Parts: sequence; C-alpha cells; structure tokens
Amino acid sequence: MEPDAQLVQECLRGDGPSWEELVRRHARRVFNLCYRFTGNATDADDLSQEVFLRIYKTLPSYKASYGAFATWLTSVTRNLLVDHYRRTRRDRLTDSIDDESMPQLEEKRSSARTPDKIAEAGELSAQIQQGLAQLSPELREAVILRDLQGFDYSEIQVVLQVPEGTVKSRINRGRIELARILGDMGLRPA
Amino acid sequence: MEWNCTLTENRLSDYLDGSLSREEAAAFSAHAATCVDCAKLVAAVGGLVTRMQKVELLAAPPMLVSRIIDATSGPRKQTAGWKNWFAWAPALLQPRFLMGIGTVAATILILLYTAGGSPVHWKHADLSPSAVLRTANRQAHLTFAKSAKFVNDLRVVYEIQTRLQPDSEPSPAPPAGQNPAPGSKPQEKSQTSPNPGHSQARTGTMLASMAGAMPLQTFLR
Repeated sequence: MEPDAQLVQECLRGDGPSWEELVRRHARRVFNLCYRFTGNATDADDLSQEVFLRIYKTLPSYKASYGAFATWLTSVTRNLLVDHYRRTRRDRLTDSIDDESMPQLEEKRSSARTPDKIAEAGELSAQIQQGLAQLSPELREAVILRDLQGFDYSEIQVVLQVPEGTVKSRINRGRIELARILGDMGLRPA
Repeated sequence: MEWNCTLTENRLSDYLDGSLSREEAAAFSAHAATCVDCAKLVAAVGGLVTRMQKVELLAAPPMLVSRIIDATSGPRKQTAGWKNWFAWAPALLQPRFLMGIGTVAATILILLYTAGGSPVHWKHADLSPSAVLRTANRQAHLTFAKSAKFVNDLRVVYEIQTRLQPDSEPSPAPPAGQNPAPGSKPQEKSQTSPNPGHSQARTGTMLASMAGAMPLQTFLR
C-alpha cells in the first residue's frame, strides 16, 4: 500500500496527525496547480483550502484501487478549478472590456525586456505564468499537469477524463502555442 | 519515410518525449535539419519544455496548512502543560536574537556598574528604594562632575599647548659649523631660550590658569 493510502486509512480511523501529514505533503502541489491555472495567489490560496475541505468530506469515498491519492486529489482540484473558471468568466469579460488598452501596454513592456534578464530563474517562472494565462483552459491545464507538475500521460488522462490521444494532442498544441507566445515576449530557447 | 512540416508539428511532443519509432525519429531529424521553420520550432519548444521542467514549485503561503487544518478537523490542540509556556523559546536561538540578547545584557551590566559598583558587592540595604535613589543621585552628580573636570582639563592642556607653541617652533638655523651634536635632545633648544624672562611670565600665567581648575579637582578628590 502506498504511503498516502496508508495515511488515508489512518485518517478514516480518526487519526488527526495523519490528516495533518496528508495536508502537509500535498498543500504545496495543490497551491501551485491552482496558482498556475488562475494566475492569482489569493484565489489559489482560497481554492487550495476549498480543495482540502472537499477532500476531507469525501475521503471515505476514496479507494486505493482507483489509483494514486495524488491523482485523485488532482482530479478534485481540477474540477474545482474548472468550476472557478466558469464562475469568474463573466467577471473577466467585464474586466477585459474595461481595460482595452492594457494588452497593448503589456505587449510593449514585454518586448522591451532583454533576453538576458528574461533568462533569470524567477523571471522565467513569471514569464511562463504570463504565457500560460494566454492559453485556452484546456491547453493550459494539460501543459501545467505535464510540464510543471510532472504527471505522466495516463495520470493526466484520469484527471482530465479524456482519451490519451486527446491528452497528447492538447499537450503538444499547448507547448507549441506557449513557445510562440513566449517567443513574442522575447524569451529565447535554451 | 516521407516527412513534412505538419507531421513535425503534430509529432513534436512524441519526438521530445522519445516515443517515436526509430524510423520516425530519423525522418523527423532529417526533415528538421533541412527545414528552417521546423528547426526553429523544435528548438523553441524543446528549450521551453526543458526550462519548464526545471521550474521549481512555488512555496505555499506559510499559514495555508494551518488554515486548512483549522477549517477541516478544527483547531489543533495546544501543547499540553508547561511545554506550552516555552513554545516560543526555539525562536530565540536564532543568531540575531542571541546577539540582541547579549548586547542588551552587556548594556545593563555596564549601566549597573556605572550606577553603583559591582552587583556582586551589593547588600540588602542597597536595594531599598531610598538607597537606590541616593546612589543614583550621587552617581549622576559624580558623572557630571567628572565630565566637567575632563572638559576643564582639556581646556588647560589646550592652553598650555597653545602657549608653548612659539617655543616648539624650530629656531633659525645655526651658523655653519655649529650644528648640534648627533643624539642631542630637542628639548635643549627651549632650555636655551634667548628670552628667559618672557618664558617665566608665560609659566606664571599658565599656573594661574591651572589654579582656576584646582578647586574642582580638590572637590573631586
């Protein structure tokens, strides 16, 4: 039995420290997934809490035979992210109408940056975040899960509930699109 | 095997993941070597994937785990008993806190010694409020008087130096053949001053100035 599944069993027996250990192990990964998808630290914080609340309530429904706990946790996170995306879509549309001049300003500022500065590690992370924000949600989640969270194709297939061919196609298109966006922003390939 | 730009784009991730067959990989590489656009695309996406896989996870907010625990299984039980009282103690072991504590302790010790001598020699009677007040009052006056004496002494020394200044200036060069012998002391020049009467007058004034500071010195002793 994998360590997480063992912890889950202990949690179901009412062991508080096991639940705390489970949260401690996965909070960072869940927060990163939420942050990379939403691009907002406050939303990511709130969503991470929401994820673990839901996990806590539905923990008895988890079975080790379904797959790794991390995959199940990621599925729950992804479903909440999709809900959040749909919930906030109207707000984003309103914002984009209000800030019509913003994309031009952002574009000018990005192209003025030198490639050397962009190559810095923290800068790279920020640039990738900017690029991800311009991808469609389907491509964004596929790229995040594969390249930033390190899931393999079969796990992503379980999380996204789509055939493996679709997973591969989304990852491939997402990577190409992201490389094009970052190229426009002045990021050179390694 | 035939290969084209569309295939390169569609199978790019398979190529980067190493999941193409040997024949497909060879055709892919051969095409990318001759097509400038495809070569650029492979370099850009390959570089991006390499970089993204090196990006580390961001740190979660410090209180996230605590908030989750509080929101799910309820606030955690506090450490029971006396250990709870010292839960903050490990934080004090950081070097900056230790240095701060050391500095404060040294300052307090210096102040205590200045105020009333060594704490080792304190008696019970010294700790009564009236005795502490008296000692502090006495120490304050003594410190002020010592400071005043120091300033006055400085003034006297400065005055002496100022008045001796003309004598310490080098005298005109002696005639040739009358150079002082090697090893002779420079003080000998002032002893052979051409105007001894003037020097005596200066010394008298100096003594008068020093006498002005005497009452204070006498008081301090």
